[in-house]
Amino acid sequence: MKRVRDWLDVRLGASALYKGVLDRDMPDRLTWWHTLGSATFTTFVLLVVTGIVIATYYSASPVHAYDSVWYLQNEVLGGALIRGMHHWSASAMVVLLIAHMIRVFTWGAYKYPREANWWVGVLLFIVVMGFSFTGYLLPWDQKAYWATQVGIGIAGTTPVIGDVAATVLRGGPELGAGTLARFYAFHTLWLPGALGLLVLVHMSLVVRHGIAPEARALEAGAPKSTSHPEYPAYYDQAYAASKSGRKKFWPDIIAKDIVVSVVVVALIMALALRFGAGLEPPANPSDASYVPTPEWYFLPLYQLLTLVPGSLESLVAVGVPTALILALLALPLVDRRSKRSIWRRPLAAGALVFVLAGSGYLIGTATRARTFEAPEQVGPPIPASARTGAALYRANGCSDCHSIAGEGGNEGPELTDIGMRHTVGWLHSFIEDPARFHEDSDMPSFGLPQLTHQEVEELSLYLETLRGDALPSEQPEFFDTFPPIGR
Amino acid sequence: MPRGFRCPRYARAPTLRTPKQFSVTIMKRRSFLKLISAVGSGLIGLALGVPVVAAFLSPVFRKRRAEAWVALGEAEFFDWDVPIRVDIPQTVQDVWVESRILRSVWLYTQDGEEFTVYNGRCTHLACQYAWDEETDVTFHPESDVFHCPCHHAIFRVTGEVIRGPAPRPLDTLEWKVEGGILYALYVDFRPGISDKVPV
Repeated sequence: MKRVRDWLDVRLGASALYKGVLDRDMPDRLTWWHTLGSATFTTFVLLVVTGIVIATYYSASPVHAYDSVWYLQNEVLGGALIRGMHHWSASAMVVLLIAHMIRVFTWGAYKYPREANWWVGVLLFIVVMGFSFTGYLLPWDQKAYWATQVGIGIAGTTPVIGDVAATVLRGGPELGAGTLARFYAFHTLWLPGALGLLVLVHMSLVVRHGIAPEARALEAGAPKSTSHPEYPAYYDQAYAASKSGRKKFWPDIIAKDIVVSVVVVALIMALALRFGAGLEPPANPSDASYVPTPEWYFLPLYQLLTLVPGSLESLVAVGVPTALILALLALPLVDRRSKRSIWRRPLAAGALVFVLAGSGYLIGTATRARTFEAPEQVGPPIPASARTGAALYRANGCSDCHSIAGEGGNEGPELTDIGMRHTVGWLHSFIEDPARFHEDSDMPSFGLPQLTHQEVEELSLYLETLRGDALPSEQPEFFDTFPPIGR
Repeated sequence: MPRGFRCPRYARAPTLRTPKQFSVTIMKRRSFLKLISAVGSGLIGLALGVPVVAAFLSPVFRKRRAEAWVALGEAEFFDWDVPIRVDIPQTVQDVWVESRILRSVWLYTQDGEEFTVYNGRCTHLACQYAWDEETDVTFHPESDVFHCPCHHAIFRVTGEVIRGPAPRPLDTLEWKVEGGILYALYVDFRPGISDKVPV
């Protein structure tokens, strides 16, 4: 047994990996705040796995996207839960990522020697925002369509490159099939690849530099600036002194991480089970009344735009996020004082309070300004062909004579529950030649050349979906009578 | 353990008395933490694993499509003593995609009152068979047989297998006449086996 283990170890190097990664001494005093990074990673794992299931039941075409999501939500065992977990994990990831960033900021952990890892972290933040933006469109419901329309609209107001940027995002002149395919490719291929790679670098750098200890451990007797020639030597000595050999990465640190991750997953499961992920009616590009809501973490920017005059809008929309990202990237280069604790860095503390309070205020006013209505509960989607039929119904003035649910004329019979009384085949024959059924029928023929055979079929399929107040379980009772053959 | 600000812990010597006590306390603590880690990751794995596996296996648990009576035509107008093929165009829901498919049945009557209705799929491998009135020297010496073009299964008008690879007679369907209209209860059966088992 031991020989087998040794043989394998020479080939696989597991014990070297164990020594180099897991069995390392850690600073004695690491707080629960130090678990935020690993909790973010847990949400990443959740998102990848639930995302694969969603992709299994997804079709990235405007014709089928909504129906496929509806199918997952309503027909797949555990499908609603999977969608809920994906949705809430995404929100949890943003919360945890920002909290992790605040922890690193207040501990001064972006300073020597972890500057590069801070940059990797900022890139991770950008990639996560990209995930959020591209994922929003995929269900192809009203919210998805209109929020993306607005998002691309904002990108389009960028000075100089706006037009090109918007066209590239849309994959064409209009938001449509090309947009959906490219958002899907980014959401499931490009971005996961980028995120995986960045996470790998991020974690390797944590292994390389170790976890940052409490700020105090690196402050007593330190040179004033981290670029002081003696700072590296001071740092090495102080960091080594923060470890007495009592805490190992495994199991001391990892156990704590797992405990927090269990709490996070439990919360996500509770939210997924209780609220799930919403699904609004299918995207309707001709609906002019729909007011889209951005995801909550875009709300500060959204609200900021309502506060500035129109001429400044494009400047704010693109300028504020860009400035924020640039400030974050520049931070480790600009701030090279050796003081780490937030209590001894009044300027940094002020900036943090300003950004957090500002975002909080904007989210607050945005929430109050809008009433967030629960998404409308919708029945089974109308099949694609019947949707065309509904358009034909409107286009051919059927409602001039017929009424559905009180809308329309009353020259002809009401059609509210026509689907409960006649089959598609009967409706098709009737629409093509009503006089064949009733010699004194006032209804004109809608067969050729009015409508093609295909169109009459689509119209009939639409009419079949009209079931009045009937419950889905109720079987229709058909009263089809055909005229004698030979007429 | 006093937690003072005057003298940071890292500057102090370890407070445990002997190296042996130190290691015993630490080792106990570590095996407890390892247990916690195992239980914790197990819980996370379960929370994630159960819905994921359920969703992948979901097609196994889906209900069969409801059977439907299909109108084939007016009973009295069907020819006698010769099988007639009736095509049934149907709109079906293939997961989230709606599509049109063509199914067919063969029906046979000798008096316009009693009918035999066969599912149009061959019992061998579900190809569409056809009615041959005349001897086809390449495949069968008999006249008036059902002949499946895929692997040349030959059936009598009564549905029995004359020769070929078909494992069972043609599949009959339930039928009824209501208001002069002949209806069949369309069901597909599993091909390739000797028992008639609905799909």
